Amino acid sequence: MKAVIYYFERDLVKWLRGRITVVSSLVMPAAWLILVGLALPTKFTDNYLQFITPGILVMTTLFSSLQGGSLMIFDKMLGFLNKFLALPSPRESMLYGKILFISVRGLLQATVLLLIASLLGVRIWNPVNIILIYLTLFLFSVFFSALSTMIGLYLSDHDSYAAVNGMISMPLFFTSSALMPYEVMPAWLRTMARLNPVSYAIDSTRMLFEGGIPVYGILGLAIGAGIMVLLGTYQFRKAVV
Amino acid sequence: MIEIRKLSRSFGNLLAVDNLDLDVGNEIFGLLGPNGAGKSTTVMMLTTLLKPSSGTAKVCGYDIVRDSKKVRSKISYVPQDMAVDRKLTGRENVLLYAKLYGIPNRNSKVEEVLKMMGLSDRASDLVATYSGGMRRRLELAQALVHEPEVLFLDEPTLGLDVNGRKKIWEHIRMLKAEGMTIFMTTHYLEEAEKYCNRVAIIDKGKMVVVGSPENLTNSIGREASLNDVFFENVKTPEEQAGFDANKFRNLLRRR
Repeated sequence: MKAVIYYFERDLVKWLRGRITVVSSLVMPAAWLILVGLALPTKFTDNYLQFITPGILVMTTLFSSLQGGSLMIFDKMLGFLNKFLALPSPRESMLYGKILFISVRGLLQATVLLLIASLLGVRIWNPVNIILIYLTLFLFSVFFSALSTMIGLYLSDHDSYAAVNGMISMPLFFTSSALMPYEVMPAWLRTMARLNPVSYAIDSTRMLFEGGIPVYGILGLAIGAGIMVLLGTYQFRKAVV
Repeated sequence: MIEIRKLSRSFGNLLAVDNLDLDVGNEIFGLLGPNGAGKSTTVMMLTTLLKPSSGTAKVCGYDIVRDSKKVRSKISYVPQDMAVDRKLTGRENVLLYAKLYGIPNRNSKVEEVLKMMGLSDRASDLVATYSGGMRRRLELAQALVHEPEVLFLDEPTLGLDVNGRKKIWEHIRMLKAEGMTIFMTTHYLEEAEKYCNRVAIIDKGKMVVVGSPENLTNSIGREASLNDVFFENVKTPEEQAGFDANKFRNLLRRR
């Protein structure tokens, strides 16, 4: 499975050489944290920044995972996919390479966020919890980057990919527990938020910030990520153009 | 090297490849035909990217459906799109394939194929600075890094200038001399006539003629070219509808 590393390396080097893409992916989450976290007047908590930091962390991972499907789309549109499919290395290693790159990129963004948040005074408990925050975000990222890469392989042009992305990313975020706790939500939103997979990641991360350990949350995300990877493996093995 | 038996592929109602039978030995084989004739579809089936609707084919003795992985380890495929990473250097582009193929001593092999394709001087430059001809040669270098037995080329000289095309053809000839089988599609019939050992013309997914360029041209008449063979065998939709170019011209003149 060395091919996974080679595909990962290819995307990473291309991303790092883009420079502007690197800067943009690090500035966007920071802007959210500062502009929303410090500015929004709220009644349910006197430390909104502490409350919203887990939400922004998960949001950043979500958007960057979903956006990651465009890597597959471009590989497909520009003819790379055809060349890779004609190689003897396992076809699913392409998928794993994409998941790895998108997740590592997402965790880099998360690191920038965590640093800024702690500078702004957000408390983070202990090293174990920080590691578990990374694990939670990684599993969450595997789930959505596998999904977006599968969508990327299925669709054939960038416009329809952007359309699908826009259709799922914003509703997923706004119907999650990112911006407000369940207690202050209207009843209809509360139901949706409880069912939303994004809330699982946010609630787990929030619990980790508060010093608890969300065993079921992490377990649930691991199972979800595992199922997505299995589905993706099946799809890539069958892949034909 | 390649045995195609009653190979068909349809997309919905469109029969892109229709009952194709063909044997290709150790040679430079050119698959010719108008746009949409089914050339690329045929190549994609032989390179295991597309499953046939019916029929079979073997490449290097392996079935393209059942032993597709074995087939992939024996071949290289260069599609039309010129898919090379602009943000990587020439060397990095080739190195990626050497790694994916699991080549032993990959660094020296990469330098070897870069040199063979005349890219050594520019190997450390980003591909964004390469000309079209260099990108095409870089793709060939990627394809050659694992010493395939059969090389599939889809329109290898498309969009290149005269010198670029000549260079590509010289490389193809050299590879053939080293024992490689080359299966290619092209629209440049003069080139096919000059460089291919045998050609086949297909139209609407069906085989029209197959043979060596000399035999095909001789059967039409002396001084005939492969273009004449093509015009003789492939009718445009207008011609089939009874369109007469001379009548049309007279009509225009009268107005």
